[in-house]
Amino acid sequence: MAELALDIRGITKRYGDFTAVRSLSLAVPTGAVYGLLGPNGAGKTTTIRMILNIIVPDEGTITLLGTPNSHVASMDRVGYLPEERGLYKKMQVRRVLRFLAQLKGVSAREADRRISEWMERLSLKTPEKDWGLSKIDELSRGMQQKVQFIGTLLHDPDLVILDEPFSGLDPINAQALKDTVVHLKKRGKTVIFSTHLMDNAERLCDSVCIIACGNKVLDGTVSGVKREHGGNNVALSLAGDGGAVVSRILSDHKTVERVDDSNRYFEIALQKDADPQALLRKLVESGAQVQRFELVQPSLHQIFLEKVGATGVEEGMSGHG
Amino acid sequence: MAKLWVVITREYLERVRSKWFIFMTIFGPVFMLAVFVLPGYMTMRGLKDAQVGRIHILDATGTGLGQRVASHLERQEQNSPLAKVPGAVPALPSVVEPVNPRGLAAAESIATRLVMEKQAQGYLILDSLTLRAHKVRYAGRNASSIAQMGLIESAVRQSLMASRMQDAGLAPARIDSLTSVKVDMTAERIDDRGRGGSGLVSAIFGVVIAILLYMMIMIYGQNVLRGVLEEKMTRVAEVVMASVKPDILLAGKILGVGAVGLTQQLIWFGSAALLFGYGATMAKAMGVPQMQGVTLPTISAPLFLALVFFFLFGYVLYSAMFAAVGAMVGSQEEAQQAAGPVVMLLVSSVIFIQPIMLNPSGTLAVTMSLIPFTAPIVMPLRMSAVQVPTYEIGMSLVGVALTCWLAIWASARIYRVGLLMTGKRPSLRELARWIKYA
Repeated sequence: MAELALDIRGITKRYGDFTAVRSLSLAVPTGAVYGLLGPNGAGKTTTIRMILNIIVPDEGTITLLGTPNSHVASMDRVGYLPEERGLYKKMQVRRVLRFLAQLKGVSAREADRRISEWMERLSLKTPEKDWGLSKIDELSRGMQQKVQFIGTLLHDPDLVILDEPFSGLDPINAQALKDTVVHLKKRGKTVIFSTHLMDNAERLCDSVCIIACGNKVLDGTVSGVKREHGGNNVALSLAGDGGAVVSRILSDHKTVERVDDSNRYFEIALQKDADPQALLRKLVESGAQVQRFELVQPSLHQIFLEKVGATGVEEGMSGHG
Repeated sequence: MAKLWVVITREYLERVRSKWFIFMTIFGPVFMLAVFVLPGYMTMRGLKDAQVGRIHILDATGTGLGQRVASHLERQEQNSPLAKVPGAVPALPSVVEPVNPRGLAAAESIATRLVMEKQAQGYLILDSLTLRAHKVRYAGRNASSIAQMGLIESAVRQSLMASRMQDAGLAPARIDSLTSVKVDMTAERIDDRGRGGSGLVSAIFGVVIAILLYMMIMIYGQNVLRGVLEEKMTRVAEVVMASVKPDILLAGKILGVGAVGLTQQLIWFGSAALLFGYGATMAKAMGVPQMQGVTLPTISAPLFLALVFFFLFGYVLYSAMFAAVGAMVGSQEEAQQAAGPVVMLLVSSVIFIQPIMLNPSGTLAVTMSLIPFTAPIVMPLRMSAVQVPTYEIGMSLVGVALTCWLAIWASARIYRVGLLMTGKRPSLRELARWIKYA
């Protein structure tokens, strides 16, 4: 298996004078959960469509599971859940799913077996009712989402691409989706998803890439990004009154930039190159009873706001759900 | 291509399973029958033209010519096909008014009023000019009916002939038997292959084929449009396009829907063949008189082949255009509007059926059978009516095939871009850009 599940090199897509994606390069290792983050209109969907060869980039190359993405065979190993979901409304659930699986090269018989399995797993088939025989438009929205999700994974893809998978999901389906993503990762599959919900990304992703206005703002592993782009923050709790010694240490502007003093709890922003370990040593040597000394990293949400805020962000990209 | 097959299968099965298909397959023939029986009924109504109705004959000749004309008219009524239609009301006999030549003007104005009051259809003036120069005047509501004016003219001609014969000394009884000649003409078509059966029947056959082609292309072309629009509006398109190329999706849709149309036709023609087989026996049993002299025109192998080709190309050409329309609009209402030009192209081939049939080798007919957009319907129509030169058929087919290829090429590009587009309908300039950059 190729080391990189996805290797994008310098892709650009223009629509007339408007550049949707500008020389974007990404590398997604096999087995990773990768988040493509950005505000609405950042170029996430365009990028994903280019990965799937639905639209062709003006410049650059995309290698998918070791082969150029124009190869039909590699496309059969990819599962895709588009942002705007849709199924044939008048078709029977089982027939829709069989159709989607057959399009990926799964035989009808094998598809039927897997459909039954999935339907039971996601409780679309219970002893009382088999929703598989209903038409899509007889299903509730939540059930339709489940069906769509089954359709994405039915052919057991090695690379799963989910465009805004959490938008419009009820909490139960959202949880099921998270469980499935984790399960996929455990089985060695690669998952790429786009979102503007930072909480989900922070919890699920190994690596992220933030794009805004068609440009890559930053990328890397989640911890790396946080380390690089977060400030040097420490949360400190003391068992008793710290006294004058502690106050003196914390007011040393060579190491500490700013302190938020709540009597026994301090939030400390260190100077950029200051060493937190040195601070801890000083505190312990001074005799203060340190109950908690924790290096805290800013959330992805914070970083996102900080990095993207400057490039002009729309409303509605803050993290929730 | 396995994936193409998967798409075709879905398109085909989903449609054949639908209630719409079952309904159309059963009621289609009923509807078609209505389309073809109605003209027959209208023709029957048209036979009324064979009756002149009550007219006033103002006879200023003083020779009894008016009486003769009236009796000729009456005989014509009795011999008209309408008189044989059961339940037909016999027309009122004409009224003969001998008038003084000097009172003619007054009599005319009275007769005019009678016509205005609908007491009579019109009036005919016979005077000295009629005898000398065979000039007759008629005024009435039906003056524009060529058939009826012909009947009156012939009645006057025969009456004049009869009075001449009488002048020449023939006995009135002899004159009657000499002048009442009934002619019944049947017309038969001859072409290079020899006699082609009744001219009328092959004309009707041609029209039936043309209308059938038109209906199939219209119904299934719009079906393709609806299918594309559904995929676009429900957003299935993007899911599917992550698995297959849009070209394959488009091809699969057109072929799948086309297969549905063929299935339907097979069912129709199969049952029609059965009906014809048993129909004669059944008709006899039910006491329906046998139709005489109706032999279905034989379809030669080349004609059949040409029919199939024109149907296939015509269908693909139009459904490709309909698919492009479906891909560029965003709603059912918009689709109606945007499909207008395509529908107009298609309709233009049937609105000219009548003039084409009147002169199947005329400029209009030849031109329309060569224009790729009308050829798929007009060429088979012409071919069933007259012997069309082979090179014309060839030119027409090549033109249709080329246009077909062009339409598929352009529409695949519009389709590819349009399926993912939302929002407002593209302008022509934007469309051109889609085609260029897709």
